[in-house]
Amino acid sequence: MSKPTDLVQGTLDLLILKTIALEPMHGWGIAQRIRQVSKEVLQVNQGALYPALHRLEQSGWIKAKWGESDHNRRAKYYALTAAGRKYLEQEESNWKRLSTAIGLVLETAE
Amino acid sequence: MRFIYKLPLRFRSLFRKTRVEQELSEELRFHLEKLIEENVAKGLAAEEARYTALRELGGMEQIKEECRDMRRVNYIENFIQDLRYGLRMLVRNPGFTAVAVVTLGLGIGVNTTIFSFVEGFLLRQPPVKDPARVMMLCSVDPKGDFMPDKAPVSAPDFLEWRSETNSYSGMAAAAFDSFTLSGSVAPERVPAGQVSADYFRVLGVAPLRGRDFAPDEDQLGHAKVVLISENLWQQRFGSDPRTIGQTLKIDGEDYTVIGVVPSRFRIWIFPAQLWIPLDFKPGQLGSEGRKDHFLNVFARLKAGVSQVQAHAELATIAQRLAAQYPESNKGWGANVVALEKYMADMSNTRPAVSVLMAAVIFVLLIACSNLANLLLARNTSRQREFAIRAALGAGRLRLARQLLSECMLLSLAGAGLGLAISVVSLDLLRTQLNWNEFAFLLAQEVHIDKSVLLFTLAVSVLAALTFGLAPALQISRSGPAAGLKENSRTTSAGHEHRRMQNFLVVGELALSLILLVGASLFVRSFIDELRVPPGFNPDHLLTASVSLSGTRYKDPARRAAFVQNMLRELESSPEVQSAALTRHLPFQFPWSISFAVEGQPGVAPKEQPSAGHFLISPNYFHTTQIPLLEGREFTQSDHAGSPPVVIVNEAFARKYFPKENPLGRHIKISRGQQTAPWSEIVGVTANIKEFSGQTAPRPHLFEPLLQEPSETVKIIVRTRGDPTAFSESLRRAVFTVDKDQAITLFRTMNKVIQDSAQGDDIMAELMATFAGLALLIATVGVYGLLAYLVGRRTQEFGVRMALGAPRSEIVRLVMRGTTFLIVIGAGIGFLVSLALPRLFAASFTGFHVSSAAILIGAPAIVVLVAMVACYIPARRASKVDPMVALRYE
Repeated sequence: MSKPTDLVQGTLDLLILKTIALEPMHGWGIAQRIRQVSKEVLQVNQGALYPALHRLEQSGWIKAKWGESDHNRRAKYYALTAAGRKYLEQEESNWKRLSTAIGLVLETAE
Repeated sequence: MRFIYKLPLRFRSLFRKTRVEQELSEELRFHLEKLIEENVAKGLAAEEARYTALRELGGMEQIKEECRDMRRVNYIENFIQDLRYGLRMLVRNPGFTAVAVVTLGLGIGVNTTIFSFVEGFLLRQPPVKDPARVMMLCSVDPKGDFMPDKAPVSAPDFLEWRSETNSYSGMAAAAFDSFTLSGSVAPERVPAGQVSADYFRVLGVAPLRGRDFAPDEDQLGHAKVVLISENLWQQRFGSDPRTIGQTLKIDGEDYTVIGVVPSRFRIWIFPAQLWIPLDFKPGQLGSEGRKDHFLNVFARLKAGVSQVQAHAELATIAQRLAAQYPESNKGWGANVVALEKYMADMSNTRPAVSVLMAAVIFVLLIACSNLANLLLARNTSRQREFAIRAALGAGRLRLARQLLSECMLLSLAGAGLGLAISVVSLDLLRTQLNWNEFAFLLAQEVHIDKSVLLFTLAVSVLAALTFGLAPALQISRSGPAAGLKENSRTTSAGHEHRRMQNFLVVGELALSLILLVGASLFVRSFIDELRVPPGFNPDHLLTASVSLSGTRYKDPARRAAFVQNMLRELESSPEVQSAALTRHLPFQFPWSISFAVEGQPGVAPKEQPSAGHFLISPNYFHTTQIPLLEGREFTQSDHAGSPPVVIVNEAFARKYFPKENPLGRHIKISRGQQTAPWSEIVGVTANIKEFSGQTAPRPHLFEPLLQEPSETVKIIVRTRGDPTAFSESLRRAVFTVDKDQAITLFRTMNKVIQDSAQGDDIMAELMATFAGLALLIATVGVYGLLAYLVGRRTQEFGVRMALGAPRSEIVRLVMRGTTFLIVIGAGIGFLVSLALPRLFAASFTGFHVSSAAILIGAPAIVVLVAMVACYIPARRASKVDPMVALRYE
């Protein structure tokens, strides 16, 4: 179970939440979207994706609903809950602050 | 807000599990299909696309497992699963389960029983409010030999202590005695207490009905009021509420009942069925009164005051009193003892309790070792199963949890059995507590103690945990691969386990040997006690107790008249072979009295020799059939007006008249008078025992009751028929002589002897039970363990036999290792038990047992039994057909 890029669990959560903030998606779709938007850099490991989704669901940040996808197949769609949306905002700002800080250190440290 | 989503999820995970699983599969399958599609789109063939997709996805099952983990109801699910699995495992090995459960059950059951018994009987917290703050204030007797630091207090001392001390919120005094209760009820002697007015207030006991004493009711001249116990109220007055306000005659005087005291208030060293106010007569308050120590003083510590502080204060006051009243108080100190400790010391049960506790702990240890052994042995064989599970991905925690639940099931089953056993055995024990009225009252108090139950439960769980979890730890250390290779074809059991098991076997055997030796010593001692003849013929003897107290019998002549009338009345009855009266029965401790021997230099009263003092009526020796060696019995003519006479026993004669015949010689008995007459010795009798364990007879002297009528007398009647059948006739006979006389304590002489053992028989029984139990558990343990281990080596034996080893070789093989262990265990046990005889002799009075036979016999028994226990499975192993053995897995 190798990971192409070393993604911390919390970061994966953030990505997932952000991805489904716009519209509900199923697991496959989420992985695809993340790959696309990150220009093929971030390849989400399926072995990490589904446990993460289930965990988020258990924590109440996202809710699931079964729906129809292409070819009339059933798939499980995930959407943000109100609490999840707030959580996302929080985590997003945290992340921004963190990455800015790291950037500063990297630039000035010679 | 999130819980709105979380709750239904949890609910679904628990109760709609299949549905949830299905959904998970579907979800992952969808993902897989998409992946395949993508691969196909990339140009791969259908089959290959699938394989690639599967590879990319990673282990499906593992993802599912992880998702399941996320669901967080896993713990409950797993737990239930573990339980079911554990139950199945246990049911599949009924032998193992049975032995383990029974071992545990016995260990716990016996433990709980004894602890509850000891607690209820011997260590009971006094039934007062806040017992830790209630103290007994005692005088310290500078010359006393029986518990000098817990001597009773004199009345003037008490009053001064009460007024001078600041450490107590209340202080009350009590004197306990027996009074005759009559009036509206048939006369009866009851134990009673004369107490200060605030006695019950100090102890924090409120009357059930009616009222407590008013603060001034213990002053001289106040109305005579009495509080009765609930017990008395129920039995004698049928719980009639109108009892309050009625008049009772106590020792001939009228008292009004003002209240009922609840039955749970029972200080068992001071039993009382009724309480009257303690008023001090002027004589008790003077300087003579200061020498009369008869009060038990209870006091409650004030908040914030410690026992040490109170003690210091009281000691100072005592010192001042000693200086102030040197004639009476010189050398006397004071002591503050917690009520609980006082009660425990008074009952002198410490050594017995310690021995019992030790025995209990031994049995528990043995039971736990057994369990440990069984668990270790069994789990060794499950190494492979665990290894496979570990390889399949079960975490260490998971394995441990499963083992845990198995152990829990075992422990709970064992605990349940233990509880059942203790309920039953406590009931049995309760019926045994009947050697006197105190014991019987106490028997009511004995019931299962909750803290004991918790303790035993904790112990059982701990034992099961410790040894049940061992294999799980084993696995994690050596890794699954080692376990996988482990199977019956290879040699059995890891070295560590072996060592542990050996250690346990040795320990079990040693402990049970020690227990066996200890118990045998007790049993032997008790049997020895019984075997020594009492010195007279106790059969067909009925005894009863009568008290000649109260105003009517103040005059000694009246008492003497009673004795004569009683004798005459009894002898007229055809069922009576002979009758006599005496102050002390044989097998009761007589009081001592000092005397001077004629012709020997006079000495100060304190230095005078003393002997056991009996007061007897004519016909006493004839009735008891104590042999009269020389001279004569007392007759009717030895009465108050005639010359004083005494009879002595053989021990007395030998000690004080070693080379001559004591008949005709004189001794002077000290009764505190300045001029005492010399009494002539008119008879010599054989020695009799005073108590069961007595080894050397003490000097006794006998005086005629008619010359010194005592206030309590015991009637002894030798009946022609069954003595107990005569009780009613005896009661009627007494009634004829004096209708107001209360007669109590009907016992046959044999019962008196039995009662005097005071629980030695119970002690012996208990110890014997322990030893038997210990041996049983240890034997079963050794057998079970060995049977199991041998079973594991069946294949090995098969190989050996196929290679030509004779059956006896197999047996020898098995026995060799274990015999070594058995000998070591017995050896250790033997060495330790060498110390026991001396230990017991030091702790228990009158414990003299020749222990050689026991010290040789007990180890022999243990070794023999253990050898048999390991021979049986060895033989069975050798009997197996080699072909079958080889294929055995």
